Amino acid sequence: MNMRRINRIDELARSVPPARDLWPAIAAAIEAEKSAAPVAGPQRRQRWLPAAGMAAAVVLVTIGVFIGRSFGPVREIETAGTQQPAANVIPAALRDANYRKQRDVLLVEVQHKLESMPAAERAKVGASLATLRRSIGEIEAALGRDPANALLQELLVNSVQEEMRALTAVRDSGNQEI
Amino acid sequence: MADGATARMINTDTVVEFDVALIERARRGDSRAFERLYREHVGRVHGLCLRMTRNPDLAADCAQDAFIKAWKALPKFEARSSFSTWLHRIAVNTVLEKRRGPANAEILAEDPTEYEEPVMSFDSPVEEEELEAAIQSLPQGARDALVLCGVYGYEHSEAASMLGIAVGTCKAQLHRARGLLKDRLERGV
Repeated sequence: MNMRRINRIDELARSVPPARDLWPAIAAAIEAEKSAAPVAGPQRRQRWLPAAGMAAAVVLVTIGVFIGRSFGPVREIETAGTQQPAANVIPAALRDANYRKQRDVLLVEVQHKLESMPAAERAKVGASLATLRRSIGEIEAALGRDPANALLQELLVNSVQEEMRALTAVRDSGNQEI
Repeated sequence: MADGATARMINTDTVVEFDVALIERARRGDSRAFERLYREHVGRVHGLCLRMTRNPDLAADCAQDAFIKAWKALPKFEARSSFSTWLHRIAVNTVLEKRRGPANAEILAEDPTEYEEPVMSFDSPVEEEELEAAIQSLPQGARDALVLCGVYGYEHSEAASMLGIAVGTCKAQLHRARGLLKDRLERGV
């Protein structure tokens, strides 16, 4: 008879409602989750935006430097007779006074922003910006050796634009998060 | 006219489709749809937690936490398993987590003397209660296997996966549980 009772285990009620309604607490947790999500999501994205932008820029510029170095000597031979001083081959857009002025203003603002950042974040952003500038310097140097290289000129313009975008993102990052 | 089995099948399919629609709405952030899922499943989830914890307050906490976790994990839910099985898996995990936590160690401690031996009688109206009490008196591992396989009808592989144990261990625990249950029911006679 006891075996019969044991075998009836599967007939026991599977559903045992709780003594209290659990939904109000669950609903409160869900609402808290919902209200936290729109704030947390974009904040997280905005926090990563400058870093991601700069990482992309660094990759682009690094590839550019690599290509520039790879093609540099060939171009140097091809254009040896037509080489000009580096200052003259910098694309016109980069010599534009308005661009220089905007960049100087941005640099000052970014410097202020960096000072207000936590040390670890400041170090990361500063290192990324330094890498960008170093890469731009290398492209400029490569252009000095191969002034007629259209690919290097285009890379320089793109890299400088990336730098401006990165600087703007760093400047605006704190405002977006708040 | 549909016979009983077909009628049950249609009913089950309807329930599954109903769940799928609610799950899709809940996935999109519709908490009212999730509330309906909660109302439909809370009894079984709580029953499972109660049988595993043997403590009504803790069982309610576990069931509540399980539904909150389910809401957060809904985007990851894949229709390969039923929603009910998925929920039960979350509930079992929640109970296991609570057991590991120091806060509930005392409540969930293994102490056979803590539970009253049920007074048994054959075919009495309280037979179900006696059986429940006998299940509650089982050691934790045996009880878990018996609750999942015996009461909730899970296969050994499913129960073992939920409990994080080997299938062989689950089978052994179930065998042990049935033996202990038989002894306890006999002693009560």
